[in-house]
Amino acid sequence: MTNQHVAGEHHFTLTERMRILSEGTKYDSCNQSAVCHAFGPDGRCIQLYKTLLTNACAGECTYCPNRCGRHSTRASLTPEEIVRITWSFYRRNAVEGLFLSSGIIGDAERTAEKQLEVARLLRSQGFTGYIHMRVMPGTPLYLLEEIADYANKFGVNAETTSSVNYSEICPNFDYTSDVLQRLQWTRDLIKRKRREVGYGGRIVGANDTQFVVGALNEPDREIIGTVDRFMVEYELRRPYFMSFDPVPSTPLENQLPSPRWREIRLYQTSYLLKDYGLKAFDFDAVYDDNGFLVDTDPKILLAMSHPERFPVNVNSASREELLLVPGIGPVSANRIIQSRPISSEKELMRMGIVVSRARPYIEINGRRQTNLSSFMGAGA
Amino acid sequence: MSLRVIAFMDNVEGVLLAAYELLQDPSAELLFAKDMDELRSKIAFSGTERELKAVGFRPSADCTTLAHKLLGKRTGRLSPRDPDVEGYISLVLRHSSCDPASLVRFICSCNGSADLLYSGKTPAGKKYYNYMRDVSRSYHRLSMFARPDLVNGILSVKVDSPHRIGDMFCRWLAGKNPDLPVAVLEKETAWIGNGRYLGLENFTHIRSSFLGSLNFSGAPDDIDDLWDVYYDSQMIPGRRNKGHAKHLQPKASSYISEMSARDRYKVERGISSCTLDNFTG
Ligand code: SF4
Repeated sequence: MTNQHVAGEHHFTLTERMRILSEGTKYDSCNQSAVCHAFGPDGRCIQLYKTLLTNACAGECTYCPNRCGRHSTRASLTPEEIVRITWSFYRRNAVEGLFLSSGIIGDAERTAEKQLEVARLLRSQGFTGYIHMRVMPGTPLYLLEEIADYANKFGVNAETTSSVNYSEICPNFDYTSDVLQRLQWTRDLIKRKRREVGYGGRIVGANDTQFVVGALNEPDREIIGTVDRFMVEYELRRPYFMSFDPVPSTPLENQLPSPRWREIRLYQTSYLLKDYGLKAFDFDAVYDDNGFLVDTDPKILLAMSHPERFPVNVNSASREELLLVPGIGPVSANRIIQSRPISSEKELMRMGIVVSRARPYIEINGRRQTNLSSFMGAGA
Repeated sequence: MSLRVIAFMDNVEGVLLAAYELLQDPSAELLFAKDMDELRSKIAFSGTERELKAVGFRPSADCTTLAHKLLGKRTGRLSPRDPDVEGYISLVLRHSSCDPASLVRFICSCNGSADLLYSGKTPAGKKYYNYMRDVSRSYHRLSMFARPDLVNGILSVKVDSPHRIGDMFCRWLAGKNPDLPVAVLEKETAWIGNGRYLGLENFTHIRSSFLGSLNFSGAPDDIDDLWDVYYDSQMIPGRRNKGHAKHLQPKASSYISEMSARDRYKVERGISSCTLDNFTG
């Protein structure tokens, strides 16, 4: 097979290029909508073959190892090579499909065309697996429409919360027209596709986007506010967060990395928005003075800031009230309601409730094992 | 005491019909078989001369209606992943320890409440719910960690579960690969999916020893196995989380395929030569 190399690339074998380009996507999260087939030593699932088309990029995003002008190993895979690797992993039941991203090849339009080539080729060969495409900011509408025909999921990364912030880290693109406008288009295309294929047809994933956390100094209050707004305006289902890690020879090389726990706390907060029906303003009492989350489960902080809501009686509380209890999630709240009357903590444990966490906030038949103030260290 | 014997086929329809009959005649005896031949030999062996009512051996009933009639509608689910009543019975029947006659009696004891199948409120309910979960877990593990190979152009994989799930897995694999014949070997049986490519019925089973004589020439050529390279590339070194990863990539599932056994090994030992340097230049 002939390899078309981007100018300036060394000659690498297929294995080497594949490794380089897959490492370039390792921070991108899987979509969680299908079967996971493997888990890495870091505990993250491997569900799709994730790759960049190329890590040579015309963009100059300040945090990115692929930014143009940076001295680094550049490589690319041809659409045919990506298709063959995807098939090979898919046949062996090692993945559910492909996640395809790329550096900017010239401009957004050309990049999207190349990505489309991969998707078209796969589908023309009868591929029924999952295709998730990370599209470039500025991808034209006519190409997004075609991508919607082939991909199960596609979206553009917002990276941050505002135009001013965006222009600081992604100087080649415009937040309003290249990102927000695309988020709106993807929302409309997803709706249209869902109407066309219905629920019996192929999966049409919800709008998604990713934020780089810690490259700028935007507080978590702002990030959560943006996520909440995107959920309403663009029907965003799940935001992804990528912790900033300084990359040598980039403008942000001397900046401190974002602590890992921050990403985890942001994910936890976003789940509370997504699955628990909470709104961004519900978390006002949870942030520190500068608007940042602290390294404690936001649901516990939320419960501690509203002692008047507790204890809830597990045998009479509504689903909404149960959901506010740390240790009780949407599934376990359903189980409680289904299995009433509940007479002991043992029963709750069997239903998957983390009783050690829930104990200060619940009562069973008028009895409490501990109370909230003693739990908070304020004495009984 | 009734002199009747209710003979039923050990599938979903048979179980539901037998439960229906047993409710009409609670003192009847139950006898199950996988097909008519087995039933005949069981009857011959027992030498019974009691009145026999055979149900489920010829598909006739609408299982959904029958399930509603027997157990009513469920008011809720313990878990969103719990299957409906038919799915529940189908999974329980596949369990290595399942006695179909006891299952029929358990269904009758639910007094028309489907919720009792799922709530775990009675010892029998808990037992069958756990059976259902065991089989479902075993099937999902297989879907996650089995790694088929192309053998003579047939996507083939051997399964080694204590439960009878080879046919389920074969249907799933065939649905994922509609352009290839697939074979799932379960003990002496080879389940064949997309069998039309081999001149067989689309979904069927043969003796596994016959599998070697089948061939499909339209299969694509495979490239070298790049999985290990890819797997290693996805590791974020600073985020190793051994406990969590061990839980998700369990040792108990390593036997399912060599690839997942290797992945498990790396979860335990880590990946020695991380090559991020190549990427960052
Ligand atoms: S466009 Fe993407 S690949 Fe290019 S520099 Fe920006 S973040 Fe990196």
